[in-house]
Amino acid sequence: VEVTARVTVADRVPDVDLTVRIGTLSLANPVMPASGCFGPELAPLTPLHRLGALVTKTLFSAARSGNAANRITDTGYGALNSVGIPSPGASKFRATVLPEYRKHGVPVIVSIGGLGIGEYFHIAEELTDDCFDAFEVNVSCPNLERGGLSIGADAEQVGRVTQGVVERAAGRPVIVKLTPNVSSIAEMARVAEAAGAAALTVANTFVGLAIDMRTRRPVLGTTTGGLSGPAIRPLALRLVWETALAVDIPVIGCGGIATTQHAAEFLVAGATAVQVGTATFSRPDTMVRIVDELPGELAQLGCRSALEVIGTLAS
Amino acid sequence: MTLLPMPPEDPPRASPDCHPATVLGNRIVADRYWRMSLAAPHVAQTARPGQFVLLTPSHSPEDSVVLPRPMAIYDTDASAGTIDILYGVVGFGTRQLTTFHIGDGITTVGPLGRPFEVAAGTRRLLLIGRGIGACSLTLLARAQVARGAEVVALLSGRHADAVIGAELCRSTGAQVLEVNDADGSSAPTALHARLLDLLDGEPPQFIASCGSDRLANLAQTLGRRWGTAVQVSVEAHMACGLGYCHGCSTGRQGDSVESPLVCTVGPVFELASP
Repeated sequence: VEVTARVTVADRVPDVDLTVRIGTLSLANPVMPASGCFGPELAPLTPLHRLGALVTKTLFSAARSGNAANRITDTGYGALNSVGIPSPGASKFRATVLPEYRKHGVPVIVSIGGLGIGEYFHIAEELTDDCFDAFEVNVSCPNLERGGLSIGADAEQVGRVTQGVVERAAGRPVIVKLTPNVSSIAEMARVAEAAGAAALTVANTFVGLAIDMRTRRPVLGTTTGGLSGPAIRPLALRLVWETALAVDIPVIGCGGIATTQHAAEFLVAGATAVQVGTATFSRPDTMVRIVDELPGELAQLGCRSALEVIGTLAS
Repeated sequence: MTLLPMPPEDPPRASPDCHPATVLGNRIVADRYWRMSLAAPHVAQTARPGQFVLLTPSHSPEDSVVLPRPMAIYDTDASAGTIDILYGVVGFGTRQLTTFHIGDGITTVGPLGRPFEVAAGTRRLLLIGRGIGACSLTLLARAQVARGAEVVALLSGRHADAVIGAELCRSTGAQVLEVNDADGSSAPTALHARLLDLLDGEPPQFIASCGSDRLANLAQTLGRRWGTAVQVSVEAHMACGLGYCHGCSTGRQGDSVESPLVCTVGPVFELASP
């Protein structure tokens, strides 16, 4: 019975074109992981070659230890984390990490970070000759000792970081990952676009706090952290919609996506592609399931391609 | 407590798989503790003592629980392809676990983590577990008794009903000592004296501990006296179980820039002598 059912479903898969473009990069489908919520360690659990792209954990030039425990907690409908971007550093990344990403035959987007503007430029330069397809510039981590969010919340610094990385990207598309912790994401988006960004990821986590009431202490070692997961999906959808209206470059939607319908919502709101983060922890096959189900979801909306549904929110 | 990463195991641990394991049973056994049985053939056949699984206590992606929970593998039946998990209901994730019924599927990833490593030729072992921490030691007791070693399992809890694993350890042929806070028998000084009395004449060549820093310290004291290596299993808030999210740092000293991750470098570590 099971085999018959599977064949029937396969027969019904509609002919929907899932390809999308992020700058000069062509993706077979619009589904990719969110930086930090993914690694090639997932390969035994889910077929990574089926994804539109792979996104690395944010890389710093020098090795970093990351933050004190606890680093992550389940808040109910959300995960609050303050991992603090432990990083192997550029040389170890090149030798042992990047090859594991390259194995799967899909575009690799390297997320980069820094504690100050110069560090972004430095890591971009160090990676010039390496084999990957795009940069994602993380100017929105809320859990760093300095830089991170403070760069992402300052329009002038967002512009400088973006322009500097674009100049050092050797022609690769530069995606800028924006923070939601600002009063006007549209302003940040326009600044990044003017500085040469090929696309924008919207968004990173929202700053939050979890309390252990037995001890009345913060659950996380750094007191506050970044909230992800289902709780932030409507917030992220609003930001994606607002950003897509503000700029002409593609927006990659990110925030609480756990089902195919969620992914389609982000496309309707104006996203060209989507990133899946927290949902992968509980269900490692989430991204591939969305790739499998998206043609049916889009066909139900009367679309023959992903492009047809992007930014079609009715007023 | 200083944790030292253990060298990579030989042969390497089995690669984990991920599938919706069918719930075969899920019932309260004592106090706040529940026992869940799952059809998980790959885990049942490849897990080594000290390894764990990640269970996702949500029925759909729309549920409130968003992170999976790491669970020690309490018991396995390789021929039946089943595993048993024993869990304490302490928060909304474990409360949600109690809502799974026979026939439900529950996303299960495993086996995961660094297992215990007992040197060949070890004739006598002391296992020290506290509360739910005893679940990391039960497979070890079974495996070591099966290979002919003598196992003493000291199991501690808040009160008599909160002592976990006594029946299972006894059934494997281990010698079981049950102690608890309610009658005062679990006080570390009393335990120290009792274990010296029992084992000082012929000390164990291996000590394992899980579930209590105080008991790990006791294990360390005894290990130093006897010249015996001590391995501890530790727990942490966890998300991916595979090492990529870096959420489960021990926050303790290790041999690399980042303190070791519980999910891949652990959960079993060697306890350093001070």
